[in-house]
Amino acid sequence: MRDLNAPANPLETLAYIIAQQIHDHSIVYIGTGLPMVAGILAKKTHAPNITIVYESGGQDPIEGDMPWSVGCPFTWRKSPTIMEMAYSFAQCYNGYVDIGFLGFAQVDMYGNVNTHMIGKDFHHPKVRLTGSGGNNDLSSLMGNMVLVGLQTPDKFPEKVDFVTSVGHLTGGNSRQEAGLIGNGPSAVISPWGVYDFHPLSKRMRVKSLTPGVTFEIAQSLTGFELLKPDGDIPQTKLITDDAVKIIRTEVDPRGVFTTMPT
Amino acid sequence: MAKYLYNQEAVENLKLSDTSVLDRLVDFESAREAHSKKEHAKKDKRMTIGEAVATFVQDGDIITDGGFSYVRTPHQAFHEVIRQGKKNLQMIGSPNTNQSFFIFYGCVNFSHNSYSGAEMRGIDRLYDRALKQDKVKILSEWSHGGMAQGFKAAQLGSPGVASKQMIGSDLVRYNPYLKVIQNPLKKDKDPVVFVPALYPDVSFIHCHAADKYGNAYIYGPAVNDLAMAAAARKVIITAEEIVPEGDIRYNKQGQIIPFFYADAVVEMPFGALPGSMPGCYYWPRQWWEKCMRWATLTDENAKIFLDEWIINNKNQFDFVEKLGGAKWIAEARRQTKAAEGDNEDIDFSYEEFTLNHDSGLYY
Repeated sequence: MRDLNAPANPLETLAYIIAQQIHDHSIVYIGTGLPMVAGILAKKTHAPNITIVYESGGQDPIEGDMPWSVGCPFTWRKSPTIMEMAYSFAQCYNGYVDIGFLGFAQVDMYGNVNTHMIGKDFHHPKVRLTGSGGNNDLSSLMGNMVLVGLQTPDKFPEKVDFVTSVGHLTGGNSRQEAGLIGNGPSAVISPWGVYDFHPLSKRMRVKSLTPGVTFEIAQSLTGFELLKPDGDIPQTKLITDDAVKIIRTEVDPRGVFTTMPT
Repeated sequence: MAKYLYNQEAVENLKLSDTSVLDRLVDFESAREAHSKKEHAKKDKRMTIGEAVATFVQDGDIITDGGFSYVRTPHQAFHEVIRQGKKNLQMIGSPNTNQSFFIFYGCVNFSHNSYSGAEMRGIDRLYDRALKQDKVKILSEWSHGGMAQGFKAAQLGSPGVASKQMIGSDLVRYNPYLKVIQNPLKKDKDPVVFVPALYPDVSFIHCHAADKYGNAYIYGPAVNDLAMAAAARKVIITAEEIVPEGDIRYNKQGQIIPFFYADAVVEMPFGALPGSMPGCYYWPRQWWEKCMRWATLTDENAKIFLDEWIINNKNQFDFVEKLGGAKWIAEARRQTKAAEGDNEDIDFSYEEFTLNHDSGLYY
């Protein structure tokens, strides 16, 4: 049983901020990990009528326990239909999916994502990571893509070591010129801030910061120059006590994705 | 004389001195010939997994990962391939997580990579080390959806499809099969990626029920299996149970692989272990945690763990015994039914494997 009175940890904070991006009645594409927590949290709070889609093919499940994997029965529990993988991504291409959430190992100043490797030599990287999975597909196809992950200067470099997924490529209109559809990532969410992209340059910009985090702190956690919004920087809405309780009792009671690694 | 005009930038980036190793995956003519020459008569194709692997898997073949990493994946058939010591294989799949076990034992030397890992349970250090030790060479990098389109193109009966996935990314710069072309119908500039139809040599498909001819029924996510079964030159069906043809005809409407794709039909209850099987059994979750968190730490750990679970087993029943036998079966069945909403909700708590805590329990 989780301690219901302990203050929210960064993962719970993150799950809450992600959930706030989800509007009721929308179709939501969910990657593994925290986005699952956020999607189910949204469904149990402000957005009870969303339809969740997973890349293994599950969609519109009756929610149960926290899925152990994106292929877990909880991602297709009593689903009216289960899609084959090719068709699942086709739903994004064809415009049915409203918002998608995916993680990253690195994200750069234009929202390009790396989940392939850390290091400069493809054949002998410092660390080889998973590869694309569905990351590239969603980034290529979604109208509204939100990137979710931890923030350090290494994870937010000026240039990613491998462009697994195109965000705004080299800024400006470069994404459209390369032939990609969709608008590219709309936001990057870390425990410390929510970032968007300047409408013209497409460079990453602070949208709001977690209470206690200043622009200077956010900048020190970033490997490139962050853009500042006009005027005062708003504070990200803090997770409510109710939401913490719902995460710990209903969404992720065993803390599969929302207990801090020890 | 080379038959294909590969993406030259990718060939160079991947340092492929001899591109003939790439050919068979996209060799439609040879796949069509294999399909036309295989047994078309409705015959009893039942055999043991040992016979099926010995007969239909040749050294150098391109084999597929199936299901979804550890959901309805033909793990137990894979273990037999490893035990028979097949060599020089290529592996492709979305995901392609299980290639790491083959690479560790020197069975797979070439990877068509899309995703290798077990989601939140940690990165695949086996694959990471194998790449650095040059035990495996990546022949192409894919997204899940892009590779799925390649298999689907084969099932559609098409030389390939034009895709808006992977475009602009480094995947195209590390995939010799992909070429960016202009959409011929658009007046304005409209780049698309041509994804060729993909024809692996051998697909193992683990299904819920099959008749002796190879009509095979799948329940739950089919992922890429229907397309891979249509594309592969050789198809080995492993089934939780063999049922009369009438059962398929009358009771199993839905996701069916037609019998004439199948070269072999193997009755193989628990054939998806250590993965889960929709409707049948839930994961031994601790197995994957121990695998990813402990076994992959060093090659020595990996050898202890994988020898115990793969090499030292005769078959899947040995695997079941090590998981806890009948007690494991009862618990795993209860869990999967609860997860699917087919009985009362249960508590999914379990003693997670960590480096500090190994309960020795797998349910």
